[in-house]
Amino acid sequence: MADEPTRLRDYGLQSERLLWPTKGPSRFEEEMGADEIERALGITTLEKAVRWAQTKSMWPDTFGLACCAIEMMSIVSARYDIARFGMEAFRSSPRQADLLIVSGRVAHKMAEPIRQIYDQMLEPKWVIAMGVCASSGGMFNNYTILQGVDRIIPVDIYVPFCPPRPEALMEGIIRLHEAHLAGVPPAYERVGVAT
Amino acid sequence: MSDWTRMPGYVSHREGPEMPTVTVETGRIREACEHARDELGFDVCVDVVATDYLEWGGKGVSGYIGTASGRDLMHPMTQGLQVLPEIKPKRFSVSYHLLALQRGAPRARLQCWIDEGEHVPSVVSVWPTCDWHEREQYDLMGIVFDGHPNLERLLMPEDWEGHPLRKDYPIGGEPVRFSDEQ
Amino acid sequence: MSAVAPPTTRRWPVVADGQYDGSRIPSRVPTILDVPADLRDTDDVLQVNFGPNHPSTHGVLRLIVDLHGEEVVGVEAVVGYLHTGFEKSMESKTYWKGVTFPERIDYVGYQNNELVYVLALEQLLELETPTKAKWMRMLLCELNRIHSHLVFLGTSALELGAISMFWYCFRERETILDLFELVTGQRMHTRYFQVGGLAEDIPQGFFPECRKFVEWMPHALDDYKGILDRNEIWLERTQGIGVLSAQDAIALGQSGPNLRASGVDWDLRRDQPYLHYEQVDFHVPVYAEGDVYARYRVRLDEMAESTRIVRQCLDKLERMEGMPWIADDRKVVLPPREELHTSMESLIHHFKLVTEGFRVPEGEIYVAVESPRGESGCYLVSDGGPKPWRIHFRAPSFVALEATATCLHHALVADLIAVVGSLDAVMGDTDR
Repeated sequence: MADEPTRLRDYGLQSERLLWPTKGPSRFEEEMGADEIERALGITTLEKAVRWAQTKSMWPDTFGLACCAIEMMSIVSARYDIARFGMEAFRSSPRQADLLIVSGRVAHKMAEPIRQIYDQMLEPKWVIAMGVCASSGGMFNNYTILQGVDRIIPVDIYVPFCPPRPEALMEGIIRLHEAHLAGVPPAYERVGVAT
Repeated sequence: MSDWTRMPGYVSHREGPEMPTVTVETGRIREACEHARDELGFDVCVDVVATDYLEWGGKGVSGYIGTASGRDLMHPMTQGLQVLPEIKPKRFSVSYHLLALQRGAPRARLQCWIDEGEHVPSVVSVWPTCDWHEREQYDLMGIVFDGHPNLERLLMPEDWEGHPLRKDYPIGGEPVRFSDEQ
Repeated sequence: MSAVAPPTTRRWPVVADGQYDGSRIPSRVPTILDVPADLRDTDDVLQVNFGPNHPSTHGVLRLIVDLHGEEVVGVEAVVGYLHTGFEKSMESKTYWKGVTFPERIDYVGYQNNELVYVLALEQLLELETPTKAKWMRMLLCELNRIHSHLVFLGTSALELGAISMFWYCFRERETILDLFELVTGQRMHTRYFQVGGLAEDIPQGFFPECRKFVEWMPHALDDYKGILDRNEIWLERTQGIGVLSAQDAIALGQSGPNLRASGVDWDLRRDQPYLHYEQVDFHVPVYAEGDVYARYRVRLDEMAESTRIVRQCLDKLERMEGMPWIADDRKVVLPPREELHTSMESLIHHFKLVTEGFRVPEGEIYVAVESPRGESGCYLVSDGGPKPWRIHFRAPSFVALEATATCLHHALVADLIAVVGSLDAVMGDTDR
């Protein structure tokens, strides 16, 4: 990074609006002035603040495929409540979701819809491969099951077991939050997938 | 219920532990099903299953030792020697499992045998539930049902080639380490 | 709810029919509702794809729906998005290893799938299971029935907007899963039923916990009825919707709650008893209307009846302390682990059973049980070897989805959701 970051986009935020190349500075930046932001908030604190906000309300997409979906529904239930993480709002539209929890075995017929849904999600987006079938094909090593959903989409966290206990899935989610807070970029950046 | 010989196209029948198996000529299976529904009272067709007997008994299986009382030493060809299972007439069998909604729940299995390339008359006009069952057997086993209104692939993607459940279709998947034995 | 007509006026098991005149099964293809001729090729019909991923929670079902305004004029169901190739996979696994596969077919009523597989094998092997195993299997299958109906109720109510039902139902579901974990070590997919009986003895502490659940469950059912039964929106959205007559239901091969809601008094537990169902006292709920509300009531009543069955099983099982839980035949059943240290023969049996597997006599068999969704069956062809030659599972959800076109007669889009939810189809069961 040769230049000092002066624009919001230089801090690594990747919303579509900021990737618009010809857009001028936002009103916020204009009023306060770019270096004012830096002084007032501090660079790393802004990043951290944004990351903190993202982890506290990472909305999953309703993507239950098979048995793991039943366990995914039970983390919404009252005992293993994920509303305490701000995640009980399962969005049905991928355009409103941040997190894709692939829960269940992925057949070849389903691979195309999964890829379409992943492409429709907006950055930043994360993927959790829940259960062994999504991670690696599980116990089904045959003509019809994709051997791991990471063949078609980049995965951040793999949660094993068949099906994972709700606490295991929550552990996966919490680790994802921690990784994101620590600065680990989402999987599509690491893997370099065209989104 | 017990006079199977009056069924159109009757070939043979065999009493099984849980239901009789009636073998019927393939060309007359639709009449046989109508007879079963109307005369014998089998109102429900529970299932349509096709089985592929390619290489059945090709490699002999050893005599079975899993009985309630253990190995029967008087039974011929046990003690590890090769035993061949009963020879089947043709490659594919199509079994129709029927149920009569009566006291005692009488069941029956109508079976017809075909070879590769032969067609089976569809029984969708007799029991509408056979629509998807026959489509599934077409998709997975490649058996063509004549007269089926919508014979398309059901479970596999539309552009899939081959019929997965046949014995000459590989299991697919990937080789895993140490997978030579199993 | 209206009383069911007395059985003397109709031929049993049809106790109520005439929900509508004639048959509503589409004439061209029984499972596809065709757009009527006067609307075809007009601009008024919009084809919408309720794709495999959609907000309602019953899995990857794709419906291609033709809409004329708000009314559904054409529907076609596309399945296969979860086809796992169970039947082919099981042909390459020995019978003992293969018991993990059937559970995952109907992943909400998993013990019933295990049961049907194990019963088929035991009949072919002519193996007697000890009575304690049969009672415990009954208990677990009835708990599983309650579990399945709770999931159905929670998710269907969620789809229709009664969102709080989801949390109420899943509260009881967690208790049932705790019971399963106590007995088998796993919440779902327990692999507890083995050929010959149960995998292990029933642990201490299970019976008091189960009793507590059985005492609590009727109160929970009162909670559910209190939320839904007099709720005008619920009644408006479910009564008179998705009607299926008795004749159409029989022609479409329906079974289980879908059939009983259409006025056909048929339950395999009572009419073709397996395990010890002839020794327990339970009532089979039958409703005459054949609509979504009737199916909901059948399942709600079945939960109460299952609780009664569980209570009776508990009474019997508490007196069976110390009895064997698995058959003694060492050619089929793994010996207990303690014996492996002392007995050479047990070690050899264990080795042979795990590596080669036990052999099943040649033959073909079809066995059916009453799963929460209907008649779940297993067709098994054995060639005398240690692996199945052909195994096929008759899936009740597969058949239930064939009835969508018939149920959607003059239906609106909102009714489509209600009907598909009420047929209670689990896509793992449909696609196998």
